[in-house]
Amino acid sequence: MYIRKSNINTLMVIRVIGWLLMIEAMFMTVPMCVSLYYNEYGCAEKFFYAILITLSLGGLTTKFVRPDRMDMHRKEGFLLTSLIWVVFSLFGMLPFIFSGVVDNVTDAFYETMAGFTTTGSTVFTDVENLPKGILLWRSLMQWIGGMGIILFTLAVMPMFNKSGGVQLFNAEVTGITHDKLRPRVSQTALGLWGVYIGLTIIMALLLFMGPMNMFDSICHTLSCVSTGGFSTKNTSIGYWDSRYVDSVVIAFMFLGGVNFSILYNLAHGKFKQAYKNEVLKWYVLICLLGTVICFADLYFRGENRNVIDCAIDSLFHITATISTTGYSVENYSWGQFSLMILIILMISCACAGSTSGGLKIDRMVVLFKNVKNEFSKAIHPNLVTTVRMNGKVVPYAHVQRTVAFLVIFTLILVASTTIITMFDIKVFDSFFMSLSALCNVGYGSEIGDSGTLVSLPITVKWLLSFDMLIGRLELFTVLILFTKGFWIKN
Amino acid sequence: MKIVIAGAGEVGTHLAKFLANENQDIIVIDRDESKLSKLEAYNMLTYVGNPVSFKSFKNAGAEDCDLFIAVTPYETDNVLACEIAKYYGAKKAVARIDNYDFLRQENREFFNERGIDDLIYPEYLAAEEIVVALKRAWVRNWFELCDGELYVIGVKVRDNAKLVGMPLKKLFSLSNYAHISAIKRNHETIIPRGDDFIRANDIVYIATTEGASQNILDMCGKEDVHVKNVMVMGGSRIAVQLAMMVGEDYNITIIESDFERCEELADMLPDCRIIHGDGRNFEILEEEGIEDMDAFIALTESSETNILGCLAAKEYGVKKTIAEVENIQFISEAEALNIGTIINKKLLASSRIFQILLDSDSTNVKCLALADAEVAELVAKKDSKITRAKVKDLNLSKDLTIAGMLRNGKGSLVQGDTQIEEGDRVVVFCLAGAIHKVEKLFS
Repeated sequence: MYIRKSNINTLMVIRVIGWLLMIEAMFMTVPMCVSLYYNEYGCAEKFFYAILITLSLGGLTTKFVRPDRMDMHRKEGFLLTSLIWVVFSLFGMLPFIFSGVVDNVTDAFYETMAGFTTTGSTVFTDVENLPKGILLWRSLMQWIGGMGIILFTLAVMPMFNKSGGVQLFNAEVTGITHDKLRPRVSQTALGLWGVYIGLTIIMALLLFMGPMNMFDSICHTLSCVSTGGFSTKNTSIGYWDSRYVDSVVIAFMFLGGVNFSILYNLAHGKFKQAYKNEVLKWYVLICLLGTVICFADLYFRGENRNVIDCAIDSLFHITATISTTGYSVENYSWGQFSLMILIILMISCACAGSTSGGLKIDRMVVLFKNVKNEFSKAIHPNLVTTVRMNGKVVPYAHVQRTVAFLVIFTLILVASTTIITMFDIKVFDSFFMSLSALCNVGYGSEIGDSGTLVSLPITVKWLLSFDMLIGRLELFTVLILFTKGFWIKN
Repeated sequence: MKIVIAGAGEVGTHLAKFLANENQDIIVIDRDESKLSKLEAYNMLTYVGNPVSFKSFKNAGAEDCDLFIAVTPYETDNVLACEIAKYYGAKKAVARIDNYDFLRQENREFFNERGIDDLIYPEYLAAEEIVVALKRAWVRNWFELCDGELYVIGVKVRDNAKLVGMPLKKLFSLSNYAHISAIKRNHETIIPRGDDFIRANDIVYIATTEGASQNILDMCGKEDVHVKNVMVMGGSRIAVQLAMMVGEDYNITIIESDFERCEELADMLPDCRIIHGDGRNFEILEEEGIEDMDAFIALTESSETNILGCLAAKEYGVKKTIAEVENIQFISEAEALNIGTIINKKLLASSRIFQILLDSDSTNVKCLALADAEVAELVAKKDSKITRAKVKDLNLSKDLTIAGMLRNGKGSLVQGDTQIEEGDRVVVFCLAGAIHKVEKLFS
């Protein structure tokens, strides 16, 4: 018993994937029912096939793959988490393919990955013609992916409520460290999902009270609290041209970027912890500062608009960017300066433990404090410094990991940009697309001028899909699978 | 059940992991983040903060816990932490102490008034264990269950034992006084079935009724050793406790390498011979008559030294060796090296705490933790699953077995045909992590 088995328990990983496929099939029944409700029988039928395939494959896997041991350790955690996101996308794209709304696997996979990773860039140029079932499925994918596939599983399946489940939790949840809210991992997952579902219900009601109809408000709620950004209209939120809708969306995009354990504490009446949270303060400050700069840029460039519209527009785009939602109100003519501000926000993004993507403010704060320490050390070589967050010392190992994270992030960004430029796409567009995919923001081509996403070469789309995946799982979880040390028996 | 553990030292860490595997809600509080980071991968909540503070107690969400266990290095901290826990609504509080004075019956009132329900003194538990091992030198483990009506004996069997190579079915028909409950073979604990054999060098756990121990001694091909002369290597607190408990019954020689400690020992234990020297030095051992010793007990801080010391003593012909092995990983290795009895303070403390935990639930009476198996004594409730059919028809899970029971104050072993009735106290063996299955059977 005390001799640690080091080889990977692949059979167990496959069996768990089987279970998770059945959960995905369960989720797919929702858009099927919606299709039936809106009399889209053709679409419902296609969903039925997709469900049938997913369910039967999941069922067969769990029936016939019987591992001789059930234990899961760190390696299985990384492998399962990475694989499940790919497998979910592979099966999640079936409705797109069957219903014929996309004509090739590349686009379908890209769309699904953009859904689950809450990136929200889309290959559809005209979403208004899509069947209702498909539209809901796109938003639902973002909703599932926002909080996390694994986290949902941890909340509902008691068999993961042991140390194996903790490994999965660590592999999926974002941030330098992973806060546990309650003693058991299933309670933590349930708590987080509880907050998430609560936010969803409130937002759907608020939107429904405005000019949106029920279907649109649900779809937008699902893609907004998950900070995904899929819309049911070609002009996105701008379609409604309503200050009420804009404000509700701004509020919930902002909340989607807040660490969910803070929201959990708020929901449980612990206001002090939220009030004292340093990252939250930075988040608010950056949002405000970005808005002011954007507003100034917009206003002084002499756009022919009134002040309030300008302000709401700026705030909307700043929160949409920093929370990585990526909605747009209307054809905002970006000044170069504002664009640069957006790029900076895309890199920093919102709080760790939220549904957003990117580097996370937590890491930025640690990095900057560390840099400050390094400067002091240059003058006083014997100075002993610590990086503090919320008054507590961040262990040096975590600081190191954060620096490593930044390095890998930069390398991947450069590599991805380089590869895309091979296809003779402008350097800025390549960079912007890579960054937007890696940080799960989902600003597509509307900002650059290389035409629409659909026209991109196949290789670029697969590369961007991969960028989205590693971005969502915060680099290490996926990249570790490509190291030799992961696979050899030690 | 919500359990809060203050102090992530060796006992605390072990307990936390053990209880988390038993599906309890665990919160661990410690000042040292590096200690807690080792628990990160387990299914529990850790909180960095002073365990003896109102603030960290509240922030960790430790209010209204079912059990509070204080196992920081300082007994005063532990006692105070327990009082704070009680103030915040802990149902039960347990403190680790290292002072026998606290454990005395006449002082219990003092602690009960302060809301401390139980005290754990690992060194005392270890000394108790050694006393049992000296009394019955031929066994590895000796547990009394059901008010002494049933015993569980752990014996290492050799080639000469009658029961080697015999299917358990046959064995049981020959000797109805013994129930082979578990076998430890090559680092692995097995719950045997009727078709299994016992091999040489297995450690066999046998449940038996009162008075049958002589038969088991024969069956296992052992001879009883009468212990009189005892050599103890390392003058640790356990050694002192042991000498205080049984110093009059045995001739005890204590070898201690630190001279100041020797003086202290000589002061505390006038009945013992205290030798200043390194227990690993064979000349000193020979000089002090290791060849005439009946038992050798190694209680230094280093598990390796203790294991090697016992091996050396065996070479000199000492019949009974006892080693304190604090690294849990070494236990099965040490057992394989034929060291008579292994003492581990962590396991002793955690099995004691587990027992306290089970006590709060009236169905459970007792639990003993072996390295990777547990022995539980439970009361069958009305209409519980266990009472619904004969044992052989219950389709019991493979990782547990029912060894014996106590009905109307009389102990008996359980066979396939036995029907368990309401109110019976039943002894169950199960592999680590299966205790919740057992609980399901009985509730």
